[in-house]
Amino acid sequence: MQVTPRVQPRTSGAFISRLLHKDSSLGYILIGPAFLFLAVMMAYPFAYAMYLSFTDKQIGAPASFTGFENYAKLLGTSLFSKTVVNSLVYTTCALVLKCFGGLALAALLNRPFIGARIVKALLLLPWIMPTVFSTMIWSWIFHPTFSIVNDVLVNRLGLIAQPIPFLRDERWAMASLIFVNVWRGIPFFGITFLAAIQSVSTEVIEASKIDGASAWVSFWKITFPAILPVIIIVMLISTIGTLGDFDLPFLLTRGGPNDSTTLFALTAYTLSMSSGLIGLGAAVTMTMFPALILLVVISLISVRRQQQD
Amino acid sequence: MQVAQLTRNARRSLPFYFLLGAVIVIFLFPFYWGLITSLKFEVEIYDFSGNFLVPKNPSLANYMTLFRAPNYFIWFWNTLLVSAVTTAISVVISVMAGFAIARLRFRGAALAGTLVFITYLAPKNFLFVPLAQILKDWGLLGGLPALMLTYPTNLIPFCTWLLSGYFSNVPQEPEECAMVDGASRLGAIVRITLPMSLPGIITAAIFSFTASWNELLYSVAFVNGEQNKMLTNGVISAFTGGDSFAWGPLMAAATVSSLPVALLYLFFTDRFVSGITAGSTKG
Repeated sequence: MQVTPRVQPRTSGAFISRLLHKDSSLGYILIGPAFLFLAVMMAYPFAYAMYLSFTDKQIGAPASFTGFENYAKLLGTSLFSKTVVNSLVYTTCALVLKCFGGLALAALLNRPFIGARIVKALLLLPWIMPTVFSTMIWSWIFHPTFSIVNDVLVNRLGLIAQPIPFLRDERWAMASLIFVNVWRGIPFFGITFLAAIQSVSTEVIEASKIDGASAWVSFWKITFPAILPVIIIVMLISTIGTLGDFDLPFLLTRGGPNDSTTLFALTAYTLSMSSGLIGLGAAVTMTMFPALILLVVISLISVRRQQQD
Repeated sequence: MQVAQLTRNARRSLPFYFLLGAVIVIFLFPFYWGLITSLKFEVEIYDFSGNFLVPKNPSLANYMTLFRAPNYFIWFWNTLLVSAVTTAISVVISVMAGFAIARLRFRGAALAGTLVFITYLAPKNFLFVPLAQILKDWGLLGGLPALMLTYPTNLIPFCTWLLSGYFSNVPQEPEECAMVDGASRLGAIVRITLPMSLPGIITAAIFSFTASWNELLYSVAFVNGEQNKMLTNGVISAFTGGDSFAWGPLMAAATVSSLPVALLYLFFTDRFVSGITAGSTKG
């Protein structure tokens, strides 16, 4: 760090005020705390996780180096392969649904209407409200015997004969988890896409309509390409968040039934906190890392590209 | 003539309002269902006969059960305290870093900006296993300081990113004028630029506060004992256990515990929306 001023000041007070004046020194002083914090609480834990993943560390026992044993062990367990498959299914389905749902919501709201501000504020509630508490409500809605949805579908409407085992059946459990994630995500995607759509010049769209293009065609030919950078960035950020989701599987299913809904964070939690196998839990988080790097690099590139435009 | 025009317009937008209404109902129904469940007596909760959408004998009994839970108010206080401390730490550090990245020219400023963005992208649930070990090494595992120290980890990158965007849009001239008038650099920043950036700072504070209020994994993994729980894990442990969930008090807890966030949202809707449309939240 180049913080030493060229001319030696006479008093320490003058020295400090010089430091606080010059861009070069003030910059390092102001960014220092953040840098220190992230180094200690992020870079160090990351290195520590890598170290732990190569050891047989358990709660209350010293660690000894075991090389790639944890990783080999993980590859041999069905818990880990299920975690990988679950995470892929969960993230892919949720992202596709959130993207199209968000576009549909944005398209719906993209016109002047009575109470637009209030409606937008209300629609954002699923995103704003604390996940833990809204997910508790969902687990009540998905109750095995007293589900309001089943009551309506079976008894009131007679659409189905048997109640749906929302959280008790492997496939339904995953579908329910995805549903709640999508319910939370669509408002965020929709409002973000709407803001992007409304920043697209209306002149071009009007011109295309005069030329005879339908609203559908002008949306896909003009608006969609214009907001594509925003869509890509929102999708990437959401992918990372969804891949690392812990709250939903922990609160709705605890990963069950039969590990059919456990995701990386929950598997790492189960192994390290519940079973005390800290080394193995650390290895689970490390296996997420390559995918994360890929996503982060793509995000960086697309943000750069957007900034250049 | 005008009336005819209006009715024609209204009739044409009827399908739109119908669709909009349906969308609102779908997205908000869970909150309504949670609220009315919290107002029903135990027996009625499991009785869907008749009109289940309105409680037959609305009662606050579930709320009484909740408030009589031995530690509910301790958890509420813990959550408030941790969220406030976390927000203060995160916002102060982020204002400094965000300002430096946006406004000061020093070697590595651009690199620092990129690093902040990378750390922002890292999912917060990624590092809890080593963090638990580190907290244990430091003798902090189990108590509230463990949360006050770890929550900002995920908030500083986001707030710094948000604030550096904000600072780069605040005009620089007033600060320079103040310095011409004899103010020190730091004095000019604190007295001129920070007040001008208050909306951005408030946005960062609201997001930090709600994110802390909403946190689950760290509070489950890093604190021990009834006295140290947050609302999230406290409520879960008090009213769920095996298959015997106390749905009435649980729904009451969901309603009450969401209130601070709901109130913040009510007063600062535009801040939330602008923060969100800045592409600034995860999910």
